Amino acid sequence: MVSEHIIKSYDDELRRLDNAITEMGGLAESQLDHAIDAVTRRDTAFAQQVIEGDLRVDELEAEIEELVVRLLALRQPMARDLRQIIAGLKIGSDLERIGDYAANVAKRSLVLTQLPPVRPAYSVPRMGRLAQTMIKDILDAYVERDAEKALTVWSRDEELDEMYTSCFRELLTYMIEDARNITTCTHLLFMAKNVERIGDHTTNIAETIYFLVHGTRLKETRRKGDRTSVAPGVGTG
Amino acid sequence: MSRRMSIAIALTVVLLVLALLSLWFESVAGAVVAGLLILWAWASALWERLPPYPRRRATNYVVLALSYGATGLGLMCLALILATLIWNGLGAVSLDFFTESTPASGNTGGGMLNAIYGSAVMTLVGTLVGSPIGILAGTFLAEYGRGNKIAPVIRFINDILLSAPSIIVGLFIYELIVLRTGHFSGWAGSAALAILVVPVVVRTTEDMLNLVPGSLREAAFALGTPKWRVIVTVTYRAAMQGMLTGVMLAVARISGETAPLLFTAVNNQFWTTNMNDWMPNLPVAIFQFALSPDANWQQLAWGGALLITVTILGLNILARVLTSGRSFGR
Amino acid sequence: MTALDMSSEPSRPPTHAANLAPKMDRAPAAKPVMPTKVELRDIKFYYKDFLAIKGVNLELRDKSVTAFIGPSGCGKSTLLRILNRIYELYPGQRATGEVLVDGQNILDPRVDLNLLRARIGMVFQKPTPFPMSIYDNVAFGIRLYERLSPSAMDERVESALRRAALWDEVKDKLRQSGMSLSGGQQQRLCIARAVAVKPEVLLLDEPASALDPISTQRIEELIDELKSDYCIAIVTHNMQQAARSSDYTAFMYLGEVIEFDETEAIFTHPKKRQTEDYITGRFG
Repeated sequence: MVSEHIIKSYDDELRRLDNAITEMGGLAESQLDHAIDAVTRRDTAFAQQVIEGDLRVDELEAEIEELVVRLLALRQPMARDLRQIIAGLKIGSDLERIGDYAANVAKRSLVLTQLPPVRPAYSVPRMGRLAQTMIKDILDAYVERDAEKALTVWSRDEELDEMYTSCFRELLTYMIEDARNITTCTHLLFMAKNVERIGDHTTNIAETIYFLVHGTRLKETRRKGDRTSVAPGVGTG
Repeated sequence: MSRRMSIAIALTVVLLVLALLSLWFESVAGAVVAGLLILWAWASALWERLPPYPRRRATNYVVLALSYGATGLGLMCLALILATLIWNGLGAVSLDFFTESTPASGNTGGGMLNAIYGSAVMTLVGTLVGSPIGILAGTFLAEYGRGNKIAPVIRFINDILLSAPSIIVGLFIYELIVLRTGHFSGWAGSAALAILVVPVVVRTTEDMLNLVPGSLREAAFALGTPKWRVIVTVTYRAAMQGMLTGVMLAVARISGETAPLLFTAVNNQFWTTNMNDWMPNLPVAIFQFALSPDANWQQLAWGGALLITVTILGLNILARVLTSGRSFGR
Repeated sequence: MTALDMSSEPSRPPTHAANLAPKMDRAPAAKPVMPTKVELRDIKFYYKDFLAIKGVNLELRDKSVTAFIGPSGCGKSTLLRILNRIYELYPGQRATGEVLVDGQNILDPRVDLNLLRARIGMVFQKPTPFPMSIYDNVAFGIRLYERLSPSAMDERVESALRRAALWDEVKDKLRQSGMSLSGGQQQRLCIARAVAVKPEVLLLDEPASALDPISTQRIEELIDELKSDYCIAIVTHNMQQAARSSDYTAFMYLGEVIEFDETEAIFTHPKKRQTEDYITGRFG
């Protein structure tokens, strides 16, 4: 597709960066996948796996950071190369947070296995699957350098936010109904929040991909569907 | 036994016989030639027996020896000339030599003062007239001659003039000045010398100006300097040393010229400062004195020859010293 | 609604903002766009019959630095040399089109070449000090057109050397030959010589390519300071230098200007593929 650099080792290093991002993204995706499984199946061993798997995600982020610093210092990158390298740094950081949130979900699922299941527990996995498809699509957009695809993912976060809002309300209702549900519902609340944050980080990655492809920042501000922080009766934010 | 070896042996036998025969017939040259041929035959035979690296070394030494020999031969000639001059001329050089005029034939004593003075004056006038012409012409060729059709023609004519026989120049001035004015004169002599100065100075000026890097001129132009000013304040300054050396070389050339003076200034036995008169000068005086049977005159001629040689040698060495190690910029 | 009673809570820790020096600037204000000083209209250049520059249209802004980059042979030096008509030293080279400096076409044959070159100064790739003293080098251009008293001349020479960041190094040896300086100093001397005549436009043809990195940085710092007074055009084959020193950049290839824009735009998101290939080192 694109012509290669006159200096081949430069191309090799850029490819290494690309591969690291792709690997990290795939890992983050599977971490979330397994975390959701751990919740639905109430499987402690699975959850433990996810928690330990986060180490590898952190390792990859460190590797990416090192590679970026090296490229900036030694190659004096310009234009497309510069944007790619900076994008790599930012995406790595976002993926690392996604991995952390996935691990947090797994940790909380360990606690949940000791408590009796509640009905709203199913909304968290539903959110999780949506977030998972978002991660997969955003990674495809990165590999293909497709800004349009990135923007569709970017707008899907609104849906995720709406799911979070309804989940929030549902859990509150449950807690009000029966005080014995409070512990479980609180944990579920945090898990839902974590997944919502995963969605936000995915939109960050989408904005970075847009910058990578077009060279300018995305001008529109994202419509936020999260109305939990707004007092009832006040207009939508 | 190799083939060469066998040839060498056969040749030796034959040549030895030839050598003895020629010695018998008292031909030394023949014997020498025969001896040399024997040596050569043996040398080539032995050559083959050497392994490659020593053979190359041996070749190297032989060629080096031949080169040194040739150089030595040349230097020896120069040394012999100088030695002869010094041997014969030193005796003539005394205070009188520089203070007394040329004596009449048959007298003793005297000196070459008038001749030295005349030569000096005519050389000076010739240089003063010829150098500006030469410098300006050289400047034209170097600075204005680019893309010009006339420049190569001028250069060509200059080269011809440079190697023109000086006697032709003398005859030309004879025709132009001597016949018109009706008498020989120092002015005519100076004119002839000036014509000889011009091509030398043109050549060296052009060469030196061409050595000045174009970037220096461009830098001066870029400041808004008019062309003549660029040449005078920048280019001349940069090439000054070389141009002066050129003039020096021209002086060295004309100080020893005899032929042009033969028909223009001739010589004068007496002291005179009148340039309209026949002007005494060293080269013609030497010419006159050397051919005469007068021993005193011959001695003075040697002295004059020594003086001229030392002057020319000195000027050339000075020119070399001044131009060595000079370069423009870093 | 009353505020909360915080009397039993621990006091608020001091914020970081309170520790900041009061004069700390935030992001620099946006750069104002300067008026156009030199306008090139449909410039073509011929070496005998060969068309080297194929029609260039662009503007150089006053009090800014415009850089010209491109591979060897693209015509950037040729274009620069049109601006002070120094190509006219060589027969067979000619330019067509218009170069308007403050509205006046300088390619008009009626324009006085020498006066033009006093308004538009040039510094070359190879440092070329004249074979005279440092003082005379700087005073050379001034003496061409102005008659100054010795003290006024001293002042002009000193201020030119100060602008070229050379004064401190040579103030004790003004009478020494200009050729006794180091390469970087010689180049700064050439710059001092060029600014001493108070030109309006400065043309720099690869001014630092013959210098070591430290001297190069000094020259770049110098350009940064000079641009507040002059319209500067610089040709360089060192892209990083163009990126560091200039406000506007023109990328040239085979005698045409492929892209011309603000430097930041060219080096972060150029519009043309050719430009991007060149600056990222993909040119083949």
